[in-house]
Amino acid sequence: MSRRRALVAALITLIVAWGALAVTLALGATPRLGLDLQGGFAVRLVAPDGTDSEVLDKAVEIMRRRIESLGGVQEPEIAVAGDNAVEVQLPGVTDRDRALAAIGSTGELSFRQVATIGQLPGVSPIYAELGVEPPGFAADLNQAGDDATTTTVEGGETTTTTEPPAAGPPDNWPDNVDWDTGLTIVDDPAQEAWLLEPDSGLVYHVGPALLTGADITGADAQFAGGGHGGGVGGWVVDPSFTGEGGDKFREATGQLATFNIADPRRRFAIVLDGAVVSAPVVAEGVGPEGLSPSAVTITIGGGDDQQSEAEDLATVLRYGALPATFETDRVESVSATLGDDSLNAGLVAGIGGLILVGFALLFYYRALGLIAIAGLSVFGAFLLFLFSFLGETQGVTLTLAGVAGIVVSIGITSDSYIVYFERIKEEVRHGRSVRAAVDNAFPRAFRTILTADAVSLFGAVLLFLLAVGAVKGFAVALGLATVIDVIVAAFFTRYAAAFLVRTRLGDGGRFSIRGATGLPVASDAAEAGA
Amino acid sequence: MSVFQRMYRGETSFDFVGNRRRYFVISAAAVLISLLSLAVRGLDLGVDFVGGTVIEAPNAQELSLDEVRADLRGVGQEAARVQLTGTGDGIRIQTVELTEEQLQRLVDTVAEIAGVSASEVSSQEVGPTFGAQVAESAARALVIFLIVVTIFISIRFEWRMAFTALAALLHDLTITAGVYSLTGFEVTPASVIAILTILGYSLYDTVVVFDKIEEQIEVLHDKHTITGIVNLSMNQVLMRSINTSLTSLLPVGSLLFVGSYLLGATTLREFALALFVGIGAGTYSSIFFASPLLAVWKEQEEDWQRARRRVERRRGPAEAVAVPDQGPVPVAAVAPADDDGAMTVLSGATPRPPKRRRRKR
Repeated sequence: MSRRRALVAALITLIVAWGALAVTLALGATPRLGLDLQGGFAVRLVAPDGTDSEVLDKAVEIMRRRIESLGGVQEPEIAVAGDNAVEVQLPGVTDRDRALAAIGSTGELSFRQVATIGQLPGVSPIYAELGVEPPGFAADLNQAGDDATTTTVEGGETTTTTEPPAAGPPDNWPDNVDWDTGLTIVDDPAQEAWLLEPDSGLVYHVGPALLTGADITGADAQFAGGGHGGGVGGWVVDPSFTGEGGDKFREATGQLATFNIADPRRRFAIVLDGAVVSAPVVAEGVGPEGLSPSAVTITIGGGDDQQSEAEDLATVLRYGALPATFETDRVESVSATLGDDSLNAGLVAGIGGLILVGFALLFYYRALGLIAIAGLSVFGAFLLFLFSFLGETQGVTLTLAGVAGIVVSIGITSDSYIVYFERIKEEVRHGRSVRAAVDNAFPRAFRTILTADAVSLFGAVLLFLLAVGAVKGFAVALGLATVIDVIVAAFFTRYAAAFLVRTRLGDGGRFSIRGATGLPVASDAAEAGA
Repeated sequence: MSVFQRMYRGETSFDFVGNRRRYFVISAAAVLISLLSLAVRGLDLGVDFVGGTVIEAPNAQELSLDEVRADLRGVGQEAARVQLTGTGDGIRIQTVELTEEQLQRLVDTVAEIAGVSASEVSSQEVGPTFGAQVAESAARALVIFLIVVTIFISIRFEWRMAFTALAALLHDLTITAGVYSLTGFEVTPASVIAILTILGYSLYDTVVVFDKIEEQIEVLHDKHTITGIVNLSMNQVLMRSINTSLTSLLPVGSLLFVGSYLLGATTLREFALALFVGIGAGTYSSIFFASPLLAVWKEQEEDWQRARRRVERRRGPAEAVAVPDQGPVPVAAVAPADDDGAMTVLSGATPRPPKRRRRKR
């Protein structure tokens, strides 16, 4: 290998590593910190044994929606862990009561009479009810119909703009309703509300709760053959009620049945956590005496997938929000101060460790130590880059256990240098020239490094696949570091050593590679002669 | 030349296999003490394994332990375990599982006596099932890991090496667990991680040593006894083992130091303590336990017995440390095992005369 080629190869690796890090940092990407390093709130919820994994996935989905509705949580992490547990991580959240209520409780379910339904998806009926122009309505039209309002005239373009309507809500606007969306901000089942049905986008104006989740004991989704008015049959949901709930239901449906079949007031909305899940109509022919609670079925409309729709509705009726009753198994809240301290401690320990190892290698292996120090910097740059990159794209977080894993991997990577350098010394002892020793030692040393790193990597992968919680973070760090160790050895150390041995530091004084291998150097001879 | 200089050049000739009885006795004693302590004293399992509540707060008022305890008595938490962390700038309170209200009251009390806001108080509540799951998943990971590694080493080297490495691993794990038991350190998820790391280190170290032995077997097979070859390999990798342990201990030591002097890094400290012990045991076992064990075991193989007979026929009593006879290698004299089994270093090495360096100019 020529000196020039070795230098170019080593420099390319160095530039790639530092360049990648510089670009990531310039783009503002930093490693995504775990909860234990930035403070926050973590809960582990356990479902009863034997809970179906689909049910868990469903629960995760519902919890995520609820957390998002909490607002102010950056990047919540909610995932199924193990066979029957869900882990929720909320970085930056300190209000534990609110957070716990959002994920732990089974949700607030209510049956409410519909007053009016918005005419268009996304438009609240409240504006029409109060006789005001919705804010941003015209602007919306502008955006939606860009082509319509932009007319191309010869020689130029003119845009017609509509003046926005009077800004601000009228005096009789209810306090608890958002002016921009026309939706109730915090739903209280005892009050009327303007609520969205997320599936259709329609907004319902509903009255106070007629029944709540406590009145319902269960629900089943079933396929009912024809018979209901001679239809072809379809999926229905059979709810069942408590004694008191049944009475309430009978009375409520009786009330609703006084309205005409086309009147929205003949419908009751099933509301969960401030959103309309479904709004069935009380069937034709029901009189003011109401529906018998034992015979009630909710027929699913002509959706594409009636079965899943029926099952979803039954789930909502049965459990409220969550399709299983979870028990809180582990709650952890880390103050931001504690997180900061841990991060600082990890950083100081990591950088301190790197410097100490660098000095030790420099002291012991002299010129070769310089390679190790440059290699450690490449190692550090790659690792930081990977954590930033994976944090940004894959959501990989750096936890305290991960920091510990990195500190440990410094030991593993420095061992790769030691294996190589000791090999060089040995080759020299076998009578090779320093230059030949450096080149010959690498393939053999690399084989050792590969074997040993393979064992580490096996460990990391298995830990990641099999372990839970903090151990996973450790496995990620260890695995990444091991891979980087091999890369640095193959693309940096080898070339850097090949280059260095062809400079004055290769075969010079006591500090040179020659000196480090224990061979007598020129200055020894001079001393002996003096 | 001093011993250190020879070690630097890998020219020592310690008889590791010959002195094996002494090393095996040391290992056996350490393992026995560990097992006894585990049986008698057991392990101090942290809240993550047994359930309970831990509250941590900065100690802004620099309260003493007794002051904190006195204040806790006021809210009916006299049974709580109170510790000061770092250099006394953190308070850590551990109790049994509490109800929501009890916890809230405790957090408020701690915030009040520490003079900080409630949001600065960290807490951790663990139900009893969590620990069982963590332990179970770690144990499962461990078993599968061991099986995979055994297969890997069997393929890459041979099955005897795999089982020797496994024995060394169990040796290290037992001793680390024993140290936990003897010192009464709390076993936390961090310690589990540390133990898994030790596992990695121990195997890594053993693999590097075995790699060397395998290489020497390829070169020296037929001309030397396995004992001699193992001894030679051990002497050659001795410096690497010592250096690797040192460079591994440096960052761990830095972790230990930082963890002890900065608040909130208690996890790091627990982790570092376990690693310190584990790396030490790992280095010891790969040199003084795994390799002699391998030599003794392989010495039983017919192939190697034939090799021994052949060597003895040709050269009289086999040497303890193999001396490769090709190349201008400085020859270290054979170190016969003394009667008392002491480590003997003999040097017959004649330093090569300094080479004349030809200057180009």
